[in-house]
Amino acid sequence: MKPLRRHPHSVLHPDPSRAAGPARLAARLTASLLIAACVVGCNKSDSTSPAGEEPAGKQLTVGVNFETLQTEYWVAGFEAIKAELKGRNIRIVESIADGDSNRQLQQVRTFVTRKVDGIILVPKDAKTCIPAIKAANEAGIPIVLFNRPAAEAQGVRSIAVVADNRKLTRETVEFMIGEARKTGKQHKGLVIVGDLGDINAIGRREGFYDAVKGQEAVVNVVAEVPSEWNQEKARSGVVNALQAHPDISFIFSSSDFLFPSVVAALKSANKYHKLGELGHVILGGFDGDATAYQMLVDGYLDATGVQDVYFEAERSVQALLDRLAGKEVPSLIRDPGFVIHQGNLEAKRERMWGAQVGRK
Amino acid sequence: MASLPALRLLKRALLADHLVLWLCLVYSAALAPFTPGFASWGNLQTILAYAMPILVVSVGLTLVLIVGGIDLSVTSIVALASVVGGKVMSADEGWLAGHALAVPAGLLAMLSVSAGLGAINGLAVTACRIPPFIATLTTMMLVSGLAIWLTLSRKIGGLPPGFVRLGQELWLAGMTAGVTTWLAHLALSCTLYGKWLYAIGHNARAASVSGVPVARVTFFTYVVSGWFAGLAAILFTAGLETGNPEMARDNLLDVVGAVVIGGTSLYGGRGRVSGTVFGVLFLALVDNSLNLLGLTFYTITMVKGGAILAAALTDALRNRLLTQE
Amino acid sequence: MIEFAHIEKSFFGVNVLKDVSLAVKPGQTVGLVGENGAGKSTLMNILGGNVRADAGEMRLDGQPYAPDSPRDAERAGIAFIHQELNLFSTLSIAENLFIGGFPRSRSWLPFINRRQMLQRTRSLLAEVNLPHAPDTLIERLSAGERQLVEIAKALALDARLIILDEPTTSLTARETERLFAILARLRARGLSLIYISHSLDHVLRLCDQIVVLRDGAVVANEPAVRFAMDRLVSLMVGREITQLFPPRAARPTKEVVLDVRDVAQPGIVRGIAFQLCRGEVLGLSGLMGAGRSELARILFGLDPCAAGDIRLEGESIRHLPASERIERGLAFLTEDRRAEGLCPEASIADNVTLVALPRLLRSWLGWLDRPRVAAEVRRMREAVKLTPTARDGQPVKTLSGGNQQKVVLAKWLLQEPKVFLLDEPTRGIDVGARYEVYRLIRQLAARGTGVLLISSEVEELLGMCDRILVMRGGAIRDTIEPHEFDRERILRAALHHGGLA
Repeated sequence: MKPLRRHPHSVLHPDPSRAAGPARLAARLTASLLIAACVVGCNKSDSTSPAGEEPAGKQLTVGVNFETLQTEYWVAGFEAIKAELKGRNIRIVESIADGDSNRQLQQVRTFVTRKVDGIILVPKDAKTCIPAIKAANEAGIPIVLFNRPAAEAQGVRSIAVVADNRKLTRETVEFMIGEARKTGKQHKGLVIVGDLGDINAIGRREGFYDAVKGQEAVVNVVAEVPSEWNQEKARSGVVNALQAHPDISFIFSSSDFLFPSVVAALKSANKYHKLGELGHVILGGFDGDATAYQMLVDGYLDATGVQDVYFEAERSVQALLDRLAGKEVPSLIRDPGFVIHQGNLEAKRERMWGAQVGRK
Repeated sequence: MASLPALRLLKRALLADHLVLWLCLVYSAALAPFTPGFASWGNLQTILAYAMPILVVSVGLTLVLIVGGIDLSVTSIVALASVVGGKVMSADEGWLAGHALAVPAGLLAMLSVSAGLGAINGLAVTACRIPPFIATLTTMMLVSGLAIWLTLSRKIGGLPPGFVRLGQELWLAGMTAGVTTWLAHLALSCTLYGKWLYAIGHNARAASVSGVPVARVTFFTYVVSGWFAGLAAILFTAGLETGNPEMARDNLLDVVGAVVIGGTSLYGGRGRVSGTVFGVLFLALVDNSLNLLGLTFYTITMVKGGAILAAALTDALRNRLLTQE
Repeated sequence: MIEFAHIEKSFFGVNVLKDVSLAVKPGQTVGLVGENGAGKSTLMNILGGNVRADAGEMRLDGQPYAPDSPRDAERAGIAFIHQELNLFSTLSIAENLFIGGFPRSRSWLPFINRRQMLQRTRSLLAEVNLPHAPDTLIERLSAGERQLVEIAKALALDARLIILDEPTTSLTARETERLFAILARLRARGLSLIYISHSLDHVLRLCDQIVVLRDGAVVANEPAVRFAMDRLVSLMVGREITQLFPPRAARPTKEVVLDVRDVAQPGIVRGIAFQLCRGEVLGLSGLMGAGRSELARILFGLDPCAAGDIRLEGESIRHLPASERIERGLAFLTEDRRAEGLCPEASIADNVTLVALPRLLRSWLGWLDRPRVAAEVRRMREAVKLTPTARDGQPVKTLSGGNQQKVVLAKWLLQEPKVFLLDEPTRGIDVGARYEVYRLIRQLAARGTGVLLISSEVEELLGMCDRILVMRGGAIRDTIEPHEFDRERILRAALHHGGLA
């Protein structure tokens, strides 16, 4: 626990000798138990922290806070950032807010308290992260928002590294429409949208409608399923839509992690077939996760828009270092991403994070 | 019975009035040397800023638990009140955007909506005789749904600076939370209302036979609990500078946990505001310190769960010791 | 068959059992009497395996017997039927009888052999003379029938010794007779019984041998025939109580305080009309289910009243809620002390002041006048002679039954009621406390309070009342003036044509 000891002098130090006799003994007993527990806790944190040895010179510390680790995408992003930081011999302090903006604010404040040199944050959403960014700004700590930008606010400075959700979704859906056109008939379409409190979900929804606009002859969108990023809701939504429109043959999911739900619904309607087979439903997604990769390999999935996690991680860390070195950094860095499909699977799989996760 | 002196000491420690306060102090003292940045003024501010709104909700819930009920809707009331505040005050989309009275009107709207929701809970429990668990669970679902529906899950920014100050200036939030907590404490210990609350919690039928207006007091308590949730919503919303339909969504267990750690009985009739204060403080300390140690969210949740379990066990043990005497 | 030798037990340094020795022979019924706190429960808990003795030993059929748990006691053939019955009200009779171990279809399979269970239940029910189907739910049974199920449960365990703790408190006279008939049959079959009760006439009637405990020691252990009521009572309290009821200090006035006019509630009571005067103690007799408690609840405003009028000091209170009737001077000591009379976990002080609290405020905001509250608690404790060892902050559940009842009385006396409805005020409390309750009723009446005394004990009514009403089937059947007081007349009016089911 040596490298963690930065503030050896404690301010909060109640004097136990003033306690009454019996309470004192109980207090000591409890204290020793707690210390034991704490030693275990410290060892745990050591094992996750990369720098075991005391470095020469000034080693940088970066606080990494993710809103959640509940999907593979965030796990892959988290791992990519940690690998990037480790590669540059930067110490990592990490915390996860588990979907709670308030907790996230507290955790960023904790980073500030620990005097980290930079912060990489996956904000819960665009607005609730503003007080956290303010806190970092006030302490003069540069802060990078990974994959989600913050809302415009006066006097708040941050760097956002984001995928262009709208553009990449449009490209993916356009590719799907191209495939649909080849069949020569009109398709009934379904779109699964995410939590509309999430700016990425909104961007993907807009990108989808950008692409299908004016293409009614090829794809006629008959159902929009709100998933709120919840697999169960997505599944029941798709099941219901398939009941109302049994001839749906074109489905876009705003995130790959909802595919298990889509596949389950399709299977129960006996509509899950490979590309080229009779009754194949044209499927497209977004993210590029391991499920999507497997579906591509197995020949069920037409296309998915891949966010280039490695690019985003590298840019995030680089942006922090540039800012620390006093260089000018744009406040928005875009990840162009790419569409992966049967045609370019071989060429692109190295950059697809889902393929890497699946390989482990 | 306990012949060993150590056992006797342990027993006395368990029966001590402010066990949780002692725990807080011991815990802080034990962790401070190992936890970077734990014992610093800045961190104390972080802890207090985090704990203050939770404390206000918890105090309201304490009253409901003492009267023998439960209010599961408090955190969703926080969310709705937060949205309502945003809808009234926001410079971007508020009904009173830029108006001079936007802030007072917003505060009033937040408090009255929450008190109104508390009144609905109260009516459901007293007039319709729905068990509080179900009544407030239903309110929770309806209200959190309503908060999301009103905003379509969007957050409301652009809150007036006068309002945001409430969250930024710790002393303002501290005073608000402190004064209301103190008032609740006085109401419980020194007033007729407090005595009636305990009596109903102990035995509602006996209280009713003794002429206590059980329905009225119970109803009023749910209103107060809703009102406290609205007050907490003000602190939460100002702290995050956002009207947020998901506000405090994950805090329900923190709130219930803090109240139980503070020694309030889930069966009614027993509990104190001071206990709740220490319960909130204890959970905030645990949360903050483990965060500083770099433990993951899941580990922290497990430790907190353990602390709540330990509190429940301690309570059971205390009860046994007390009845043996 | 069971023998206690020199049993000693103390809790927190207080000797609750001192050198207790006694024996129960096969087929014998032993009555165990004593005031609350005399040590009866502790002794039986030692026998039942709930508590271990500090010293001394028990011998069962000559073999040393030292149970570690109630299960050990059960295996040894000792069954304990508690005052509060331990039946599961939402389960059937059969399920309750075999809850400790259901008959299985195969010993290694977890399936219940239903047919065998129902068959055995039928034969057990026949033994206790209970004509119900085995799958009847317990909640459908009356208190007396539940008692019989408890006995059947003891028989199902092949018990040879059954301990009965206050088995008749919640039974009607008819149910009591039925229970006694069953007990006589069991005795004839060679079962031993230990019978604990405050109803001394029952003990005298039923038992072969009576053991009197006082302050943890055996003060008498003789065949029942050598005891008479007076002697039993004086042995129990340790002093001669020459007169069971305190003398009357004043005569009732003719000034009507409570005027009940043709009160009716369909299916509960009908045509109830009577007048209660200041300083009068009006008795209300009748069997359980005759509508006595129900009437009291209607008068107090807890239950609805469909017709008629209730006037307190000339003003109608029929449409007022209970809380306002209390404000106008009505008080009600309920039959069920623990469920409705007290907050058992709350302190003595909080219970005593619960009713009067709104009068002990400093301002309209509801601030309590604490010194006054404390003074009133002190005054009432003295008035009801509550045990001086208890602290004001002590939970009332730690008090004995008699002291608990005194707390309830104190709560209402503090309000200085004009009319006091007392529903079974002496149920389950010991002789000493009983006398205190009587004394307080007299005192109240002397101060001009009108008292309505509901009681199942005819002796109590005869000893205390200025007039007695007898109810049957929801109506008043007879009004008996003091010069006509007569046990038989009361019973006849209450039972009439075999009475009510």
